[in-house]
Amino acid sequence: MDLNSGMPGSLKRGGQGSNTRLLAILCAICVVLFTLSCREGDTGALHSVRGVVQTVTSPVRYVGAALTTPFEGLGNVFSNLTADQQTLSDLKAENEQLQAENAQLSESEQTATRLQGLLQLKSTYNLQSTAARIISGSSDSWTSSVTIDKGSSSGLAVGMPVTDSSGVIGQISECGLTTATVRLITDENSGVSAMVQSSRAQGQLVGSADGTLKLTLIKTDQQVNVGDLIVTSGLGGVYPKGLPLGKVTNVEKSTGAMYYDVTVSAFTSTESFEEVLVITSLSEDQQATTDDIAEADSQETSSSASTTSTTTDAATDSATTSGQ
Amino acid sequence: MKVNDSNRSRKTLATLAVICGVLQVALAPNIGIANGRANFAFVLAVIVALRYGGRISILTGFGAGLFFDLTSSGPIGLMALELTVMSFLLGSEERDKLSEDPGASIQLTIIASVVVAILYNLSMMLVGQSVSVIDALFLRALPTALLSCIGFAPFMYFLSRGSSGPRLHGRGGHSSMGGGHFSTKGL
Repeated sequence: MDLNSGMPGSLKRGGQGSNTRLLAILCAICVVLFTLSCREGDTGALHSVRGVVQTVTSPVRYVGAALTTPFEGLGNVFSNLTADQQTLSDLKAENEQLQAENAQLSESEQTATRLQGLLQLKSTYNLQSTAARIISGSSDSWTSSVTIDKGSSSGLAVGMPVTDSSGVIGQISECGLTTATVRLITDENSGVSAMVQSSRAQGQLVGSADGTLKLTLIKTDQQVNVGDLIVTSGLGGVYPKGLPLGKVTNVEKSTGAMYYDVTVSAFTSTESFEEVLVITSLSEDQQATTDDIAEADSQETSSSASTTSTTTDAATDSATTSGQ
Repeated sequence: MKVNDSNRSRKTLATLAVICGVLQVALAPNIGIANGRANFAFVLAVIVALRYGGRISILTGFGAGLFFDLTSSGPIGLMALELTVMSFLLGSEERDKLSEDPGASIQLTIIASVVVAILYNLSMMLVGQSVSVIDALFLRALPTALLSCIGFAPFMYFLSRGSSGPRLHGRGGHSSMGGGHFSTKGL
């Protein structure tokens, strides 16, 4: 029986030796592509090709995002099914509280609308930004990223920070002509220079595979408490200073440890596929001042000997794109 | 028995490729478990390998893997390499396993999806994307393998029906193959 007799002539099944030769050739091509993509920068030829492909496929992404929006919470079904009674009780209580707050907020909203005209004169952060819309999540299991509907044709570039109405969501890691990939702050390879708003203790906010955020490099002689607000420190010059990142949900201190283990809950969520702002440039007053840098340096110096390499990282917003 | 409808087989392949390509771009990024995302490039490669085998399956594996690499944010060439090798191994037998032996096809697909997902994630670890094997395996590889198998199921159902309906138990005989192996019915 010849199942391939219906195939185009050039694609008919060849001998085993012929297939092995083909396999060897394609494997060699794959290895070359893999090596090149790991070594080349973001402006390399392969990344350009990827940008073109992502541009071409962006209409399909739009449609997919629109169609799957109702099912975005599907991944939570399993955890919801196994929620215990205590969790459900807590959620009911929280729901009642939120309903009460909602009534207050509705009143506040009207007030805010009136004040908005005044605030437009000078927005809180005076951001030079471009609005964009999230059209897709990550298409692989490895990265926490989203795709937005603006690219280099709109003046965007790799490294630009991205925020939504709640705060920072990440920074652009790849930029095509009409779309861009945003590496979220929850990505395992993401790192943002951050500080505790109340105590000004500076550290680095890093993501993890399970989606939680960790604030690292906060020394145990500094102040950080559950509920503290975490904002960007402006060090590194990527993110504007003072943008909200999240709230401290847990602080642990191991015996003999030099730093706290701080868990942070992000303010932002990309599940609802909403609009975002891409910050295209920073003014001087949005960057860390020399005082901030000196403070960070003194923080580093006091714990210098054993932590030289890690504290250097804290002063630099991560723009990791290796292997991408 | 020979199946001499090259146009129909071309059409089937093209239809499969388009469906899997659209699903990979439109559906996979938006529905996931943990960090896992369905890999429809894998689904296409495994279907062609099990249904046609040989040279076409190797080329399809390469093309599908490359498409996955270009539409994701990982290194280019890694998934292409994995799917090319997988297609070579799964497509080495000269028979339509998808229709003849659905049970074995499902087993092979499950094994292949787990192996491909684990190798991909371990390779990503080797290029410095993570340090945790636990995260790579349990938060990424296994959910991806599970979703890919779920994505494979409807294709398996429609394609194994062929001319004699779904035969998920036991081996089908050659006499039941008829001319429906390249049918697009049900797609």
